[in-house]
Amino acid sequence: MSAATVQLELRGVTKRFGGVAAVDGVNFQVEKGEIVGIIGPNGAGKTTLLNCISGVYRLDSGDIRWQGASIAGMAPHRVASLGIGRTFQIVRPFGSMTVRENAAVGALFGNAAGRRGVRGAFALADEVLELVGLRAKAGHPVSTLTIPDRKRLEVARAVATRPELLLLDEVMAGLNNVEIDEALDMVRAVHATGVTVLLIEHVMRVIVGVCRRAVVLDFGQVLAEGEPEVVLRDERVIKAYLGERYAKRLRA
Amino acid sequence: MIATADSQRRWRRIFLIVGGIVAAYALLAPLTSLDAAQSANIPLLADKFWFRIATYIVMFAVMATAWNIIGGITGYAAFGNVAFFGIGAYTTGMLIAKAKWPFLLALPLAPVLAALFAALVGLPLLRLRGHYFAVASLGVGVALGELVQNIDYDGKPVFGGASGLFLPIYAVGHRGLFFFYLMCGAAALAIAVTWLVLRSRFGYGLIAIRENEDAAAVLGVNTTAYKVAAFALAAALTGLAGGIFSQWNVFINQDNAFPIEYNVQMILMALLGGTGTVFGPAAGAVLLQLLIQFLGGSLPISIEIPFVSTEAHPIVAQIILGLLLIVVVIFVPRGVIDMFGGRTRLSLAYLRRSLRETSL
Repeated sequence: MSAATVQLELRGVTKRFGGVAAVDGVNFQVEKGEIVGIIGPNGAGKTTLLNCISGVYRLDSGDIRWQGASIAGMAPHRVASLGIGRTFQIVRPFGSMTVRENAAVGALFGNAAGRRGVRGAFALADEVLELVGLRAKAGHPVSTLTIPDRKRLEVARAVATRPELLLLDEVMAGLNNVEIDEALDMVRAVHATGVTVLLIEHVMRVIVGVCRRAVVLDFGQVLAEGEPEVVLRDERVIKAYLGERYAKRLRA
Repeated sequence: MIATADSQRRWRRIFLIVGGIVAAYALLAPLTSLDAAQSANIPLLADKFWFRIATYIVMFAVMATAWNIIGGITGYAAFGNVAFFGIGAYTTGMLIAKAKWPFLLALPLAPVLAALFAALVGLPLLRLRGHYFAVASLGVGVALGELVQNIDYDGKPVFGGASGLFLPIYAVGHRGLFFFYLMCGAAALAIAVTWLVLRSRFGYGLIAIRENEDAAAVLGVNTTAYKVAAFALAAALTGLAGGIFSQWNVFINQDNAFPIEYNVQMILMALLGGTGTVFGPAAGAVLLQLLIQFLGGSLPISIEIPFVSTEAHPIVAQIILGLLLIVVVIFVPRGVIDMFGGRTRLSLAYLRRSLRETSL
């Protein structure tokens, strides 16, 4: 991995809650243009790690470097202004707004580069809604959206912030197979616009389908890292996370 | 019954026309008391007594509209905004009474000082969410009134103490008219500011904070700065009303510059009219203040309440206000303006739907 293309670098990232280290000395890098998956059992520290990167949590030790400069300890809005967007696992739409207004808030704020006025933001919101397949529901109040559509909106709002790196926290959870395929297309479409993607997912089909690399977390530490096909065959990963039954199915 | 877009538009038009006529009458009627109008034999449509009530009503329209910026748009239930009214009143009052400043020079400093104070207390207070912020802000409002009354220097009260602060009477041709229109100007400013905020990046940021503060932050909204700015903006407009009040009333003390009941009244007005809207809080202020004046016996029309002496009417007014607060919060959570201007109108179904929304 050449240093020139490294976009995000985690060095010994540690976050403790009381005596428990939810994230414990995590090191890995994300290159520009990659799609990287983070997998691991419940409570492995995946969401905590995303919260550390996006500034929601303060690190206890370690460093996070974005395009060569440290962003550890920065407030969430400053991280967003540098071009790191994120979604929440449990969607958090702005309930009183329409779908279009939700996306427009992302477009009005977010990345400091390419910020625009209210009219420009609504134009960008329309583009983004087109990209995620919500254009037809732009004028609807959020309360009328289905769960898959709310997840799309969560992604749309983050994409509207014009991120260079997008952190997706389980956008496929709770979706059926058809919906997962649609969501996969959406992630590919976003990635095709030049956005680096770091995603948390429990659906292995997603990891294998779109990720070039996967990082496996267990008890807050990196258990394995590499190409998804290789990582998923790793004995330690099978033991800690996937289970024997899944491993057999994968081998077959 | 089908509530068509047409009938909604008709309601909206009726609402605008009626509101416009009432506003035009209220704004123009006082002019008939001018000497020029009297000598032209135009009938007197409003006397001095009415100016006073009308000016009070408009003053509350300013405060309710200002409260809406922090409480309605940003979603932070400030219960101590009367502090900014008092700061505005005492800033202007002190500058005029003690420093001998002219009124029009002293007035602009009222919103400035109120906003600075809001920014100062807002930085720690706005870190609190929900009820905690509400209670803490109430504390600020109460504490400030006590401070103003009790601060002594060299054995003498700095701010006039318990005996209050007297201002020289402002020398202007028709005082009643002057202060009425000045207060109307402040109300117009507050409404214009709200209108501009709701159409700006700033306003979208504030609504995002109200709807989900964490989501707003990761989308790039500087939540702390935005909340403090909204609080300061609300404070500035409230302080402006206080500044005008002090010169209008000529006398200020803890009781009339920091009345705790204003805190509840301005919130109730905004809720009644419709929080987060441009005209709702002002409309609520007019409705509620008329009711308060009516119950207080200040209006020419008055009623006999059985078993209650006339002196106790203000207490009855407080009780009715309390009941109204409960009814409004439960049945009209989006304010009366929502029933006329917006998607819905008053019906049993509307009340039932509201009840479902507001109950667990």
